[in-house]
Amino acid sequence: MTLKITNLKERVEKVEDILSSVAAGDMTARINPDIEDDLTGVESAIDLLINDLTEELEERKKAQDELENKLKTIQNQQETIRKQQEDMLELSSPVTKVWENILMLPVIGTLDSQRTQIMMENLLENIVSTGCTIAILDITGVPTVDTQVANHLIKTVTAARLLGAECIISGIRPAIAQTIVHLGIDLSSVNTKGTLQDAMRYAFRSSGQKMPDEIDTQDNWIGELK
Amino acid sequence: MDELPLGKEPDKLASYAVQSEYDIVKARQIARQLSKQFHMGIVDQTRLTTAVSELCRNMFEFAGGGDIVFETGEFEGHEALMISCIDHGPGIADLELAMKDGYTSGKGMGFGLPGAKRLVDNFHIESEPGKGTLVRITKWI
Amino acid sequence: MTEFLSEKRIPIIKMRDYLVVSIQVDMHDRLALELQAQILEEVSQTGAKGVLIDISVLEMVDSFIGRMLSGMASMAAIMDAFVVIVGMQPAVAITLVELGLEMPGVETALNMEKGIEMLEKRVGTKSQKNSKQLQ
Repeated sequence: MTLKITNLKERVEKVEDILSSVAAGDMTARINPDIEDDLTGVESAIDLLINDLTEELEERKKAQDELENKLKTIQNQQETIRKQQEDMLELSSPVTKVWENILMLPVIGTLDSQRTQIMMENLLENIVSTGCTIAILDITGVPTVDTQVANHLIKTVTAARLLGAECIISGIRPAIAQTIVHLGIDLSSVNTKGTLQDAMRYAFRSSGQKMPDEIDTQDNWIGELK
Repeated sequence: MDELPLGKEPDKLASYAVQSEYDIVKARQIARQLSKQFHMGIVDQTRLTTAVSELCRNMFEFAGGGDIVFETGEFEGHEALMISCIDHGPGIADLELAMKDGYTSGKGMGFGLPGAKRLVDNFHIESEPGKGTLVRITKWI
Repeated sequence: MTEFLSEKRIPIIKMRDYLVVSIQVDMHDRLALELQAQILEEVSQTGAKGVLIDISVLEMVDSFIGRMLSGMASMAAIMDAFVVIVGMQPAVAITLVELGLEMPGVETALNMEKGIEMLEKRVGTKSQKNSKQLQ
């Protein structure tokens, strides 16, 4: 069977050009055959193929954009969660000025490295802003500590000393005392008191203030506020 | 130099030649500025600035100067600020000893390297006697 | 190479028996050492018994500046002057602890007021002792 094709050389060159353009990224290139003969079928088929390719590329791009947007949303949500966690950590350990020159930070719950860091920064900022030279860190409400947390606590005490303040740690449970010794952590540079009351008593004496009147043997407050 | 565990090529933010004491100050000012720019907390800003000061002083005192390069990139899956101090000085013969607390080569109290390591999230050092030293510190952003 | 056209000296102010130095600039190493020498010179010239160094504006204290401060405290002590460093920022304190630089022999106070209190106690006691010995 012989093929009837007009201007074969030109038309083949045109097909080559269009295919190169598409390969280079120009999706608008089309052959648009205007001669009806045995080559037209091929030319039309190529144009149709390019149409299909263009459509598919556009769909893929849409899908990718959607995915990217979703990713951004998730990242924003994660950032919000992280900020909220930070806020929660700060709120859960409020520093209070319990007396002239005496700050107290009651800690409740499990301490992890991050929480202890935030507590430390918070306490030190408060020491500077209130000008109190004594801070009591009460960990009665803390069930256990690990080496990292213990080291952060020591760091807090040392940093407070560098600022010109004294940080006392009170309320160390027997379990924690055991852990600390077993882990070989050296607390000799830290002033520790068994109970919060002992810490308060020390704080009063240390800052040269008069003790509140009338404390009975059970350490109950039965006096008057003067 | 070994391969950085990066997701993609790092973006270079700035580089500076440290040849004098004034350059040490300039380098730490750049570190402060960048750490503020990347919204690091005030303590992390101070940690990074101090680490940069320590490393630049090392370069200046022991190697007669060097270059500091600030880059951002993906390090171990996180966005990070990476700062490299590169010198062509005498190098450190015993890295293990230099990274031990209390080590001194005659000057100072030896707080340079081990101290700086504690201030950052990742610390990498390479050194060849006679060729030079590279210290790269990383802080997540 | 950057040249500092006008190197500012850090002012040292005399207040009663004490010297007050407020460090407000990011010091380069040489300036820090010059300051150390200047303070000791002033102590010698004025016979000051106490020096208050205000670092409340300092955003960073590295090992060099830390050594300069603790060195100065030791040197001043030999000259019978008591050095108190006031106003350290929390971030600086935390970093110093992590750096492992605890500045032994350096007294610190939260602020100027507390620093002066500390000096009064120290220097006051000393002059009482001296007057007792003279009797």
